[in-house]
Amino acid sequence: MKVLKMSKIEQVLDRLAQQADVYVPMLRGQQTGFFSWNTYDEGYDDLMFDILNVYQSPKHVILPQTEKMYSFSQEGQEIKIDVEAEEMTPKIIMGIRSCDVRGIEHLDDVFLTKGYVDQFYKARRDKTTIIANACYNPGTNCFCESMGVNPTDSEAADIIMREVNGGYVWDVKTEKGEAVTKQIEDLLEEQEVELFPLKPFLRKVNYEGVAEKLKDMFEDPMWEKFSEPCQTCGICTYLCPTCYCFDIQVKAWGDEGYRFRCWDSCMYREYTQMAGGHNPREAAKERFRNRFLHKLQFFTERYGRPLCTGCGRCIVVCPGGVSIIKIIDTVKEAETGA
Amino acid sequence: MNYTQEIREIAARLLENGQVDMVIAWEKGDHEYQTIPFIARTVDEVGRIVCDEYSIHNLSNSLLRYRDGKEKIAIVVKGCDSRGIVRLLEDNQIKRDRLYIIGVACDGVKDPLRAMKQHSGFERIQTPEDGLAAKCLDCRQPNPVIYDEMVGEEQPIRGETDRFARIAEIEQMSADERYRFFEDMLSRCIRCYACRQACVACNCRTCIFDETRPQWVGRETSISDNFMYHLVRASHMAGRCVECGECERVCPVNIPLMLINRKLIKDVNEFFGPYEAGMEYVEGNKPPLSVYKENDPDDFL
Amino acid sequence: MHNCSCENPLVPGIVEVVKIIDETPDVKNFYVRSEKGGVPFNVMPGQLAMVSLIPVGEGMFSVSWQEENDHLEFAIKRTGLMTDELHRIEVGQKLGVRGPYGNGFPVEECKGKDMLFIAGGIGLAPLRSFIKYCFKHRDDFGKITILYGSRSAADLCFKDELFEKWPQQKDTQVYVTIDNPEEGWDGHVGFVPAYLEELNPNPEGTIAVICGPPIMIKFCLQSLEKMGYSDEQVITTLEMRMKCGIGKCGRCNIGSEYICLDGPVFNLAQLKKLPPEW
Repeated sequence: MKVLKMSKIEQVLDRLAQQADVYVPMLRGQQTGFFSWNTYDEGYDDLMFDILNVYQSPKHVILPQTEKMYSFSQEGQEIKIDVEAEEMTPKIIMGIRSCDVRGIEHLDDVFLTKGYVDQFYKARRDKTTIIANACYNPGTNCFCESMGVNPTDSEAADIIMREVNGGYVWDVKTEKGEAVTKQIEDLLEEQEVELFPLKPFLRKVNYEGVAEKLKDMFEDPMWEKFSEPCQTCGICTYLCPTCYCFDIQVKAWGDEGYRFRCWDSCMYREYTQMAGGHNPREAAKERFRNRFLHKLQFFTERYGRPLCTGCGRCIVVCPGGVSIIKIIDTVKEAETGA
Repeated sequence: MNYTQEIREIAARLLENGQVDMVIAWEKGDHEYQTIPFIARTVDEVGRIVCDEYSIHNLSNSLLRYRDGKEKIAIVVKGCDSRGIVRLLEDNQIKRDRLYIIGVACDGVKDPLRAMKQHSGFERIQTPEDGLAAKCLDCRQPNPVIYDEMVGEEQPIRGETDRFARIAEIEQMSADERYRFFEDMLSRCIRCYACRQACVACNCRTCIFDETRPQWVGRETSISDNFMYHLVRASHMAGRCVECGECERVCPVNIPLMLINRKLIKDVNEFFGPYEAGMEYVEGNKPPLSVYKENDPDDFL
Repeated sequence: MHNCSCENPLVPGIVEVVKIIDETPDVKNFYVRSEKGGVPFNVMPGQLAMVSLIPVGEGMFSVSWQEENDHLEFAIKRTGLMTDELHRIEVGQKLGVRGPYGNGFPVEECKGKDMLFIAGGIGLAPLRSFIKYCFKHRDDFGKITILYGSRSAADLCFKDELFEKWPQQKDTQVYVTIDNPEEGWDGHVGFVPAYLEELNPNPEGTIAVICGPPIMIKFCLQSLEKMGYSDEQVITTLEMRMKCGIGKCGRCNIGSEYICLDGPVFNLAQLKKLPPEW
């Protein structure tokens, strides 16, 4: 087996960073997330490969929080637009966990399939290599296995790092992974090592049949109860590795400007606010219900898998204590007329 | 503190004799360190109510959802939370006669959000800290300032430290240093607006940041838009912030928002004060920046 | 410079406004032609396009009519930020347009049937594309009945077609109503759903197509059901806030259907399966 020793990790990152923008999990000041290795500051930042996961998922690498689409300039009644040339630097996301890799698989489903291919997303995604970090110690709020995610084997990963004593087994899965491995071949060693076993999950949930049941539960009183503590603050949507809703806005000054897209949240009131004043989802309960139905029913109907990867972030950070596990449990136990 | 039993008894009594339609309190979440908001509407549900050492959530914020209704609402508030109720009454957001305020004298609480984060595996810590929440260490208002019924014995003020000490330090910085300090602080803002949602004083029906005609602040997370968001929000809080600390507590990227809020409290004290928002409810009282007086200071203009 | 929206579905192509007609005090009909001449793309009745006054914003509108290969027509009501600015432009202004989006009306399945068009206010705009299509292929369709209502006489759109051109078509009846009595108006007075029940058109072999404010649609659907129309005989076109137009930004969903991609045209049978959130 190819093994990458812990002591060589920074060398590997330096080497890879010569040809790509490498995003690694870091503790930077007060927050944890995936940041570019090029911006690593020895005195301030801390590499976090060993931690269960970081708060900010790496979805921003392929779906940036703010993305310029095209700029324009006006002259009288004439207008010219200029599509932003996509930066050609390849990207590598290294140290990403299975739950977040599944998040990227869902983003691929949304942006690359069903009628239209989002060119901005495609340009980034094609140039992104995913080096996953297999997970053997599920955390207090992890339930990825229940949502169909394999913590030790991510489908869309190009390479999987498997933690062993003193380093990682370097498990190459795809051609893209091969190409990246070639750059650091000399830093890997041949060794036979024993892999860690997967520890048992502390939280499980039974999702089977939930999507079907939800079809008849639109007016169920549980939505009122569960949405009461929800402040529609939107933290869940920003930290969720699968949430992808975006807004398109314009920034103009004088005769010039650009149109950009930015992350948006279905929890905000203006999400479906129409110009004439009509708002189909005015109340917090309606937006709350729409979010969970999207995650557990609509997405499954459309793309075959639920839009929740079981990473547990929303459960940790919600100020109101809303838990998607509780909601799935309630649906599972509900007696529906059908 | 633990007043679970007392609160349950009061809630059961109020619901039974029809004095209120709902009781806003807390209940336990999935973990023993997780206490979350809860609304009991029937006597059966009263058994879920708790009021324990993790009841940090400022429930006065939940009243905004019911401001247009007619329900009679009982609400459990600690010292800091009760100032939030005064804020709502002064802003005419809810009528006093709809509320039955159950005040609890608080000797400090712990933050379930911090406990959740520390136990989650997302942070590199050896042992989770189990102390009081940061804001409780220098609490100035442990006893509710407004209530219909009081639970617990009056608590002494805990905090004697100068809460403006850190502000003074920042004020001493050069303009460049200060800019870099705030740039570092606010560049990681993801504009989730959780601070705004958690804030009691943020009670505008259509928030300025949701307006489109014109759009006052752009949606980008650029440093200039982030600065504008926080400065505008802080300015709207000037003279109105009740220092409950919820904004800082819920921030997912740990921005020390109370620094900005305290600076404005200090300034309002100096120019219009001394003034502490929400300390007592007198009908007709207004925050200092809501009233124009001819002798208002204007030498900073 | 990038001018074609076919490569990148989020980037508009440039068109020129060649004519503006004032239909009502707050509705204007914009005729647009591609910079290269002709139409920027072909549309079927009921399809949508994202019209962009580029420095201000984008809005999704139904194409009110495609005139052969000459121009596209958009009937746009002044309601918000972007439409307000749009109403100030003059002929010659360049706009951005991308599309066509949406599923459009099922024109093929409706051939041979009698058509009942019910519209309220600006709701006539999307229906107009279907109505004019029927007149263009008149013999493919049976009897045509058009029922249209607006707040007041001044708010009636497409007046010359409504009062002159359409009633003159073969086997076509046009009924117009306004909400409240008005000086100078001697036509019918009353709300559209009530007028519909008054007229009581025979459901046999008829397809009813409705568009208007959500509340009007809801009442008309009830009336049609009462009058014996089956769920498959009733079609409507819905509206939601839209941003991307390609089923990706997430906001225009009703249940698991995206209005911009799977809609905006639904028949009542499909609509009943979706949550009532429109």
